[in-house]
Amino acid sequence: MPQQKMKRVKTTITVNGETREVEIEVPDIEAQWGDPSNMRWLGKRIPRVDGADKVTGRAKYTYDIQLPGMLYAKILRSPYPHARIRSIDASQAERLPGVKAVITDLTREVNYVGEEVAAVAAVSEQIARDALKLIKVEYEPLPFVVSPETAREPSAPRVTPQGNVRGGNPRERGDVDSAFSRSDVVVHEATYSVPPRSHCCLEPHGLVCQWQGDKLVAWASTQGIFSVRDELAGALNIPASNVRVICEHMGGGFGSKFGARAEGVICARLAKMAGAPVKLMLEREEEQLATGYGPGVTAKVKIAATRDGQLIAWESETYGTGGVWGEASVPLPYIYPVPNVRTRHFDISTNIGASAALRAPGHPQASFVMESAMDDLAHRLGMDPLEFRMKNDPNPVRQAEYRLGAERIGWQRRNRTPGAGSGVVRRGIGMASAVWGGGGGAGSRPTVRIGPDGSVEVRLGTQDLGTGTRTYVAAIVAEELGLDIKQVKALIGDTDYGYSGASGGSTTTASVAPAVKMAAMGAKERLLATVSQHLQVNPADLVLADGQVTVRGGSARTLTWKQACALLGKEGIEVQGEWNPNLQGSGVAGCQFAEVEVDTETGKVRVVRIVAIQDCGQVMNRLAVESQIYGGVIQGLAMALHEQRLYDEQTGRMLNPNLEEYKLPGSLDMPDIEAIVYDNPTGKVSGMGEPPVIPTAAAIGNAVFNAIGKRIHSLPITPAKVLEALGKV
Amino acid sequence: MKSFVYHQPKTVADAVRLLSQRDTMAIAGGQDLLGAMKDGLFEPGHVVNLKSLPGLREIRETSSGLQIGALVTLTEIAEHPVIRRDYTALAEAAESVATPQIRNVGTIGGNLCQRPRCWYFRDPHVHCLKKGGDQCYAARGDNRYHAIISPGPCYIVHPSDCAPALLAFGARVTIASAKGTRTVALKDFFQMPDKNLKGENILQAGEIITQITVPKPPAGTRSTYVKVREKDSFDWALVAAAVVLQIQGGVCRRASVVLGGVAPIPYESAEAAKSLVGKTVNVQTAAAAGSAAVAKATPLEMNAYKVPMAEAVVKRAVLAAAGVTG
Amino acid sequence: MDDERDKKPQDTPEEVDASRRTFLRNLGVSAALAGLLSSGAILEERRAKRAEAETLQAPPAGAAELRGTVRITLNVNGKSHTLEVEPRVTLLDALRDGLGLTGTKRVCDRGSCGACTVLLDGKPVYSCSVLAVDAQGKRIETVEALAQGGQLHPLQQAFVEHDALMCGFCTPGFIMSLKALLDRVPQPTEKQVREACAGNICRCGTYNRIFEAALDASRRMRRG
Ligand SMILES: Cc1cc2nc3c(=O)[nH]c(=O)nc-3n(C[C@@H](O)[C@@H](O)[C@H](O)COP(=O)(O)OP(=O)(O)OC[C@H]3O[C@@H](n4cnc5c(N)ncnc54)[C@H](O)[C@@H]3O)c2cc1C
Ligand code: FES
Ligand code: FES
Repeated sequence: MPQQKMKRVKTTITVNGETREVEIEVPDIEAQWGDPSNMRWLGKRIPRVDGADKVTGRAKYTYDIQLPGMLYAKILRSPYPHARIRSIDASQAERLPGVKAVITDLTREVNYVGEEVAAVAAVSEQIARDALKLIKVEYEPLPFVVSPETAREPSAPRVTPQGNVRGGNPRERGDVDSAFSRSDVVVHEATYSVPPRSHCCLEPHGLVCQWQGDKLVAWASTQGIFSVRDELAGALNIPASNVRVICEHMGGGFGSKFGARAEGVICARLAKMAGAPVKLMLEREEEQLATGYGPGVTAKVKIAATRDGQLIAWESETYGTGGVWGEASVPLPYIYPVPNVRTRHFDISTNIGASAALRAPGHPQASFVMESAMDDLAHRLGMDPLEFRMKNDPNPVRQAEYRLGAERIGWQRRNRTPGAGSGVVRRGIGMASAVWGGGGGAGSRPTVRIGPDGSVEVRLGTQDLGTGTRTYVAAIVAEELGLDIKQVKALIGDTDYGYSGASGGSTTTASVAPAVKMAAMGAKERLLATVSQHLQVNPADLVLADGQVTVRGGSARTLTWKQACALLGKEGIEVQGEWNPNLQGSGVAGCQFAEVEVDTETGKVRVVRIVAIQDCGQVMNRLAVESQIYGGVIQGLAMALHEQRLYDEQTGRMLNPNLEEYKLPGSLDMPDIEAIVYDNPTGKVSGMGEPPVIPTAAAIGNAVFNAIGKRIHSLPITPAKVLEALGKV
Repeated sequence: MKSFVYHQPKTVADAVRLLSQRDTMAIAGGQDLLGAMKDGLFEPGHVVNLKSLPGLREIRETSSGLQIGALVTLTEIAEHPVIRRDYTALAEAAESVATPQIRNVGTIGGNLCQRPRCWYFRDPHVHCLKKGGDQCYAARGDNRYHAIISPGPCYIVHPSDCAPALLAFGARVTIASAKGTRTVALKDFFQMPDKNLKGENILQAGEIITQITVPKPPAGTRSTYVKVREKDSFDWALVAAAVVLQIQGGVCRRASVVLGGVAPIPYESAEAAKSLVGKTVNVQTAAAAGSAAVAKATPLEMNAYKVPMAEAVVKRAVLAAAGVTG
Repeated sequence: MDDERDKKPQDTPEEVDASRRTFLRNLGVSAALAGLLSSGAILEERRAKRAEAETLQAPPAGAAELRGTVRITLNVNGKSHTLEVEPRVTLLDALRDGLGLTGTKRVCDRGSCGACTVLLDGKPVYSCSVLAVDAQGKRIETVEALAQGGQLHPLQQAFVEHDALMCGFCTPGFIMSLKALLDRVPQPTEKQVREACAGNICRCGTYNRIFEAALDASRRMRRG
């Protein structure tokens, strides 16, 4: 056998939603997706294969798993933002009829409201809740701080022994000070901020755990079945091979559902103690308090450009809020290259629980800071803000997207001078950009199996967050084998299938799709080898399409799919695929344009229309990519106008741990959205789940600026802030 | 939710007798109460189901006006053709409440008697003034959604959308207790926190609302309800205003202006009403009514925005009620 | 400060709770904090005792009362089901845990998301905010009832084709809200569609496609 050609590639790995780049060596195998115009499935609009299950209520989410003898667990959480636990007396709870297991050894000190203190499993959810109330905990409340501003004051209570302000190492390139002091530059200075935001996955975090001897089966609402497996195995001190994790359907993660987390370990322990399966799904308040949030950031920035609009210098001091130990850095300056840069980032410790990755971690925050500053600077320069960006953005894809977006929104209709309109309700148009990696990583091991009866199955331990993984996995195999997508059964969401990584960092598609393609190619090659022997022709002359095998060059010898598969013998064929870097790429580009109406008497902002453009290289499923764009825009709109986690400084408690005062927009708040998949014929697939959320809030903020001529420096843009900016308060 | 004994009285007399006992609460649609019970804010051992009472579900038109049973749902009010035509502000207010699902179950009686949404009050772990504690956390805390007009010592806003509209029409409520029934003008029903810190109205234990009577508006009456909220798909009012005007020969003869979202009770602004009477409704007089409505406002640290907003809302409601485009 | 509080008249015993005060004082907590947090467990215990005493009183004659666990009959999707529940059990929990109808989802359990929407006598309601005992005698429809004989309801079909769902957790609730609309208004405007699902939240962001799907379903249903 000839020596396998190898290739060194950069690949991404995602740990808890944070994506890192590493360099690895992989086999260098020629493979191409091919021309999308010749394809039956890929790049087309494919309704999701599990759609019927979801619209009928048949789809079983973790929350829906019911097992014989199953118990329900609940967690008792700290009412205090910071306290030492003097004692826990669970004797009354243990005596309550129906209670089967109680855990009280979770911690001796709590650092935020909502931290786990004790847990129970009981025969019904109500009894489990009743039991929690019978657990007596003696707390010794300790000083706390929940506001990042207060935490920075020297007199503030210390959240960590090292103090409340971490980091702050300056990062510098170029000569910042002389760039700012040049006589031909225009400088803009301001402070912008974004508050912490909750994920609000509709299906809460949670698991169902069932022990079979020393083996554990766990259904989990997760973005990473293998990361849940590994964390459970580690925490329970059992081999990973003893843990099976299943997630057939899950109701949203957005970066918050990696790993087993506290509730996972508690659930498994209770199930072991009780000798019965246990379901532990968090309640909405627990979701809000204890499952992470996207960190907030406050950025003091100074930005300069030459009079003709060339960015020349950037300086920023950013303060991130990610809980006690959280790191909440933001990639600044964002998107537009600046030659002279100095940044300092500080992480502020507060008693609000740990942050988690939230769809495009750090980027929507960075976008709001950068794009607001860009607009403000363009204004000072007297330049059209779009022209200013086009001048400073070297990315050719985005350049094309800018032109397209400007045309679709009607950019020429905007106010030449911000706030120039008249009347009570003012219109404005603004825009902002997005950048993302979207490359994949090695590791996925899908198996394609063709049975002698013609059945086709593809198995992989990945998961579908609603992004459509299951659908493109089936579509890739159907495309390769010339079948109808209905003939391919895609089995995912089970660690008994081949390994695949967690779904985060928009890495899933670029990791999974190439591996599935390679498996399908391998299966096809094996099938055609058999057929070629049978037909006594060269395999290269065989064509597999439309459910049959034909011979090139007009031969009448044709086999139906079934006939071909019947040649495979009893066991059929089973081929594993491996990731192939040649099929995927990194670096996707997007931009969005927003049109708003601002009511200058009530301060209310209504988003009228959003044009969102996003590329992702080779498109797998156009329908699903569009859905991701819609979803990103809608979450971005929520961030722009509504979302914020509010904490009370007096009590350290969250004021809106629900879905009522934590405001999410609904049907009556939706603008007209035009989702445009920008076809960028790279021939390589890239992920794009995250980037469409990045620029929306900034684009809306800029549209508000264009409408009223006033900058709202912090999100969300509420009526109160607008009225204040207009000088009405 | 703590477990409770669920009583299904068949008569009002039984209901009020049950309700006069300790540890007992009334439930109508439950859209407010069940959530509060789940949160552990209230943990009654006994719950009395008003839905089992007959005769409280009708909307009756009489020569003198409307009689609305306490159990009439908000959807029924919002869709009622006569209410839409002659009591427009009420229909609009009912329609602005929460969501279709809540309006299908929530009752008008429950809407008037629902408890405040102040986040300190609703947090079962915060022992605030209204719950017998020793401070109003909103006074020094996050009071962005709180009152701009309150005598203190508590700064909730009354959450009901229907109350301002009913008050603007001069509605009365019929209250049943073990002693019999009495009717009270809605404006005397609600109480400021300096009069009643723990509750928001005059109801005592063992009393329920059985009916709401709305007098027939005089000819030439027009009304509307304007509600500003942060988002349109269900949200509480930041500020709302119900305006009822009687206009004859282009001149405003009678006016009532009641604001929601600004005070611990639905806030009737006699000043705003007075400023309109005898005038032609136009942008200037409407704006003057808006200014008059907030003349007494003393905002807290985070809610000064409600002052200009209330001015605008009143102005708009006046113009819209009069059918004048601003 | 603390002593002053002690002298206050104890008008509502549960609110000025002596044992809680002592408990907090023992821990050396400041008065401000002591006022803040009610100690759930102790309060609970006292309330339970009081409730116990209360229940010993005889109920007035003529008023039915439901106590402990009660047997109820629910008419769900055209079938009658008998089950045992406590009065505090919501319709949502009765459907999911009692009858295994898990298509109806629990998300907020507080009437603020719509995932639990079912139809009661044809009207959409939040099943998390209706007691199971109160749903007796009413026609209850859940998402499970829509597809007939393996054939998707036109609304469901349109949802799939328009990709009006992503994670799908909000989907049954939206479908029920919109089914109620189409039953009542066969040819809705987009505004009516938006209003009909204004009580449903989708975090994945499918709204615009839901509007398309509903309007498309209405067209299909009219064509028959
Ligand atoms: C997410 C959400 C959003 C909401 N938004 C709004 C809104 O925008 N505007 C608004 O006005 N409301 C809103 N509400 C509150 C809504 O619950 C009420 O409007 C509804 O009308 C309550 O009626 P009910 O019959 O369900 O009351 P219940 O919950 O049954 O009762 C509420 C209270 O009133 C008492 N009560 C009920 N009936 C009577 C009676 N006849 N006599 C004496 N006491 C009685 C009960 O004991 C209880 O304390 C919202 C609620 C939720 C959950
Ligand atoms: S679960 Fe019922 S409305 Fe959210
Ligand atoms: S599809 Fe996920 S919440 Fe709506």
